[in-house]
Amino acid sequence: MQNNAALEYDYTIAKMFVFSTILFGIVGMVIGTLIAAQLAFPELNYLLGEYGTFSRLRPLHTNGVIFGFTLSGIWATWYYVGQRVLKVSMAESPFLMAIGKLHFWLYMLVMVLAVVTLLMGITASKEYAQLEWPLDLLVVVVWVLWGLSIFGLIGIRREKTLYISMWYYIATFLGIAMLYLFNNMAIPTQLVTGYGSWLHSVSMYAGTNDALVQWWYGHNAVAFGFTVPIIAMIYYFLPKESGQAVYSYKLSLLSFWGLMFVYLWAGGHHLIYSTVPDWMQSMGSVFSVVLILPSWGSAINMLLTMKGEWNQLTENPLIKFMVLASTFYMLSTLEGPIQSIKSVNAIAHFTDWIPGHVHDGVLGWVVFMIMAAIFHMAPRLFNKELYSKSLVEKQFWLQTTGIVLYFSSMWIAGITQGMMWRAVDEYGNLAYSFIDTVTVLHPYYTIRAVGGLLYLIGFFMFAYNIYKTFASGKEVDGSTLQNKTPMSA
Amino acid sequence: MFHWLEERPFFFAVGVFVVIAFAGLIEILPNFAQASRPIEGLKPYSVLEIAGKEVYKKDNCIACHSQLIRPFKSETDRYGMYSLSGEYAYDRPFLWGSKRTGPDLHRVGNYRTTDWHENHMWEPTSVVPNSIMPAYKHMFSNIADIETAYAEALTVKNVFNVPYDQDINGDGNVDVALGSWEDARAQALKEAEAIAADMKNQDVKDAVARGEIPEIVAIIAYMNRLK
Amino acid sequence: MKNIVIVAIAIGVILMGLTYSYVGDIIGDDIVNIITILAALVILVLAIGVSLKYVNQMKNDTASGELADENWDGIGEYKNELPIGWALSFLGTMVWAAWYWTMGYPVWAYSQIGEWNEEVKAHKAEYEAQWADASQSDLKNMGKSVFLVQCAPCHGYTGDGLDGKAADLTQRMSKESILYTIQNGGHNFKSTYPGGMPANMATGESAEQIAEYVASGMQGAQPAGYAVCAGCHGPDGKGIPGVGPNIVAFDNATMAAILKDGKKGNIGTMPSFDGRLTPVQVKALTTYINSIQM
Ligand code: HEC
Ligand code: HEC
Ligand code: HEC
Ligand code: HEM
Ligand code: HEM
Ligand SMILES: [Ca+2]
Ligand SMILES: [Ca+2]
Ligand SMILES: [Cu+2]
Repeated sequence: MQNNAALEYDYTIAKMFVFSTILFGIVGMVIGTLIAAQLAFPELNYLLGEYGTFSRLRPLHTNGVIFGFTLSGIWATWYYVGQRVLKVSMAESPFLMAIGKLHFWLYMLVMVLAVVTLLMGITASKEYAQLEWPLDLLVVVVWVLWGLSIFGLIGIRREKTLYISMWYYIATFLGIAMLYLFNNMAIPTQLVTGYGSWLHSVSMYAGTNDALVQWWYGHNAVAFGFTVPIIAMIYYFLPKESGQAVYSYKLSLLSFWGLMFVYLWAGGHHLIYSTVPDWMQSMGSVFSVVLILPSWGSAINMLLTMKGEWNQLTENPLIKFMVLASTFYMLSTLEGPIQSIKSVNAIAHFTDWIPGHVHDGVLGWVVFMIMAAIFHMAPRLFNKELYSKSLVEKQFWLQTTGIVLYFSSMWIAGITQGMMWRAVDEYGNLAYSFIDTVTVLHPYYTIRAVGGLLYLIGFFMFAYNIYKTFASGKEVDGSTLQNKTPMSA
Repeated sequence: MFHWLEERPFFFAVGVFVVIAFAGLIEILPNFAQASRPIEGLKPYSVLEIAGKEVYKKDNCIACHSQLIRPFKSETDRYGMYSLSGEYAYDRPFLWGSKRTGPDLHRVGNYRTTDWHENHMWEPTSVVPNSIMPAYKHMFSNIADIETAYAEALTVKNVFNVPYDQDINGDGNVDVALGSWEDARAQALKEAEAIAADMKNQDVKDAVARGEIPEIVAIIAYMNRLK
Repeated sequence: MKNIVIVAIAIGVILMGLTYSYVGDIIGDDIVNIITILAALVILVLAIGVSLKYVNQMKNDTASGELADENWDGIGEYKNELPIGWALSFLGTMVWAAWYWTMGYPVWAYSQIGEWNEEVKAHKAEYEAQWADASQSDLKNMGKSVFLVQCAPCHGYTGDGLDGKAADLTQRMSKESILYTIQNGGHNFKSTYPGGMPANMATGESAEQIAEYVASGMQGAQPAGYAVCAGCHGPDGKGIPGVGPNIVAFDNATMAAILKDGKKGNIGTMPSFDGRLTPVQVKALTTYINSIQM
């Protein structure tokens, strides 16, 4: 096809991040399943004493899956895709190799410290920004190292024009850098006063201001953690795996710049009916609804790329994963905007419908896409044939069932809870005590835990498949794989 | 033009940055001065209350509890008056939460009391059968970190001019005294003694008598303050 | 294809059906509830409908268009136009946004606090008038529902005080509580009985007897010591307005006093509900609590 046959890509770093993706995926989702079960069976709170309550473990789950699993996945694919779409090998630059290794090991250090501090209850308490200031500083260094890697590789590229995936990786880098810095601004109290714990800090912003900054961050952490880099992946792996050309450059272009522009305005939808000014809340609602289309643009572009390729969909489970991922992406980017409408948010906010929405997105879109990417990469990283295709197929159906159970139970739970909180009796007094609205959810919490367990089992199947591929898969000649799908290998 | 950018990574990155930075400037900044103004007479948290807030953060109650009463009749009936921006002026960080697995707590100090919290935190189902809230027995033995709470109070006093050691309501007396570390510790202990007097757990009473403040006392001080 | 359609639609129907079976009877005429149910329906129909449209294209169309010159790692790119439905919907959402911004929740006019004021004012006017002369059974039912929401977390569902964690409301007062008051006096109900009750109005054996007698609902022979109490609580214990509360039963004045100021006694602290309950609700609570008296 092109003259890159001679180029030997170096996947050392990609392999390291594949390993951490799987590791943190397991840790994060085991904890996710545990906390889901705790809400149905509260006795499970006491397995680990003080360290095992739902509340201590919840941030471990979110940090584990976001900063552990998802970020590792993003980097595993970056260190693979980056070289290939820029047509340059990491091996060509000892400097970039060193940066990559440092990037990985420092990141592992941060994650270990994160786990330890969160278990100990050392936290800044802002959602998805719990880490205390010394860790924040390390995170900044890790981020800068990644930036060096991106722009370093770009600096020595052979492919003049940036491929779509590159747009999204660059945006991820810039977006998170900006958001993380501003949201984590804090003053270490011991440095100022000489008293107390050196780990403790106090936020630079107070009350409503803090809320504004936090949800500007929180919403866009979703954008630049769960959306933008995952789109980077699908734009590479779906066309590559299927051999189809991307449906429309124009659609790619408009979706990208539309997403960049609109996303940042939508954070107000986390603050509806709060104490931030009404106009800002409306802005959140309005931009969220407009956001449907730039989001759907990428998804549609990918689905149309598969036009006429139904046979691939039935035969190749990787394509199944990716097509279903775009579909779940469409579902959650429709559900989110509709939950942003004031009257709907009046019910949905604070209820289980929100975790329902979250997990449509993360389980159906983020994890599916990352797993598909790793399935695609594994044979090329290890020069081995994928261990078992039928296991992939089984895993697919098991996990899809898990997601359906998760989201349908939380959908019903959330709407029920939201309406019960508002309900009045014939006299106009509140009809339900709070605990009534808790006990009614028991069956749904149980269903969610079962859904989570199915999904987790699926993830173990994935891990096992990759492990077997690496440990005992049939050897193949790497170069023959370059332009082939692993399924045909 | 876009193709031009796609061939020039530097300008591409600048372009992306401008597009994404823009919204933050317009959306967040204009409200900053306005939203940091406290309501009239708002008192800063005492050192013991800050220590309690730290326990709230440490055990991450925000995972299940909000502190934001929305202006709906159903919420004001259940929890009391809707929340106002100026009430949060000394909240660093804000603790509104995003999930109500348990009820809102922004005004829980109005309708729950020390002895109730003691029972509830020890064993939630002993007062609310079927509660799914975890028991927090370890708070009865862990000792709260009063010194760090003092450091926080002193920091916000010095850096953000939070009115400690000032007359806020104009009656001629200081409302929330901070003073030196020794003063602050003595004051925290005094507040803790008042709470321990309403409690039944003997270990807690003994600890306070020894001059140590268990986490449960601090968190109850914080809960009672939420009004 | 057929299978996918059937499964997807079945999931949608089951989801809406189950949701409705749970909340159907509480939707009522609350516009927020109605909009939410519609929103849920829109999410399902659009998500399923649009996905099926693309599934259909995957099955039946073929890829076509002019390929761009560029190519990355073997990935090509068509120069196809924007899908028209997508472009029109994009414009559609912008029109909706303009509507929301100027007419739905006009930036210059809409206020969430204003909305609350109206809702609450309308309710109050209606509620107080409607239940001003409520029947006993209405008051009892109303009282029960207020009790379950506001009081049950401390007093328990049955009002029994959860094993001594709060007052047992199935009786007026326990002997221990009465003794405690006799010994310590009381100054809880400041607004209603500003004088309070002095400590040590009776001691020793006499106090025991009085407490026993009052706790029993003033049954049997009155101990001599009770004479001191009668001065404030009346010879029959039914209280004297402004001087001392009813100590044999929860009448409305006593309940109102307790709910206004709260109470700290030998059991623990009862919070004040001042401003959180309307007069009708207080009356309803009195009626309900009297109905659970043993
Ligand atoms: C797993 C979720 C969960 C966690 C974590 C949790 N709670 Fe709760 N909380 C609940 C539920 C459910 C209720 C309602 C039932 C009850 O009263 O026990 C509740 C009720 C309460 C109440 C009573 C409020 C009222 O209006 O009745 C208080 C106070 C409270 N929790 C404080 C805390 C504190 C402090 C923490 C953290 C140390 C905490 N909770 C952690 C779930 C939780
Ligand atoms: C000087 C007037 C006075 C006398 C004499 C008096 N009381 Fe009282 N009593 C009060 C007042 C006023 C209260 C309300 C106390 C408060 O505000 O807490 C009260 C409260 C009580 C209560 C508690 C009621 C509740 O719901 O908490 C009991 C029981 C009681 N008195 C019993 C007695 C008995 C028995 C005696 C005689 C030994 C007695 N009182 C003598 C004035 C008096
Ligand atoms: C935070 C817990 C709590 C809540 C909520 C609560 N109570 Fe109480 N209540 C108590 C405690 C504790 C006592 C016992 C005080 C004592 O005598 O030591 C009490 C005592 C009482 C008494 C008896 C007072 C007396 O005369 O001795 C009445 C009547 C009462 N409560 C009614 C109510 C009603 C009605 C509600 C709801 C609107 C309510 N309570 C809500 C804790 C509570
Ligand atoms: C086995 C799979 C999983 C299960 C069973 C699970 C379960 C849970 C549970 C029970 C909660 C708490 C909800 C609540 O507070 O009510 C939660 C929160 C969350 N989970 Fe998961 N989870 C899983 C996988 C994931 C993955 C893979 C991700 C991300 C990649 C993720 C991201 C999140 C986020 C962001 C939240 C916070 C949601 C919010 O604040 O509303 N989860 N999860
Ligand atoms: C158009 C795109 C989207 C919009 C407009 C949107 C909107 C929303 C809204 C309104 C909430 C609830 C806020 C609340 O009431 O508490 C929410 C929460 C959330 N969404 Fe989305 N959503 C979108 C896409 C996604 C996607 C694709 C994901 C993940 C892959 C996602 C992850 C989350 C998470 C993690 C939360 C929970 C935040 C919290 O902790 O409270 N969202 N979103
Ligand atoms: Ca931080
Ligand atoms: Ca003063
Ligand atoms: Cu958001």
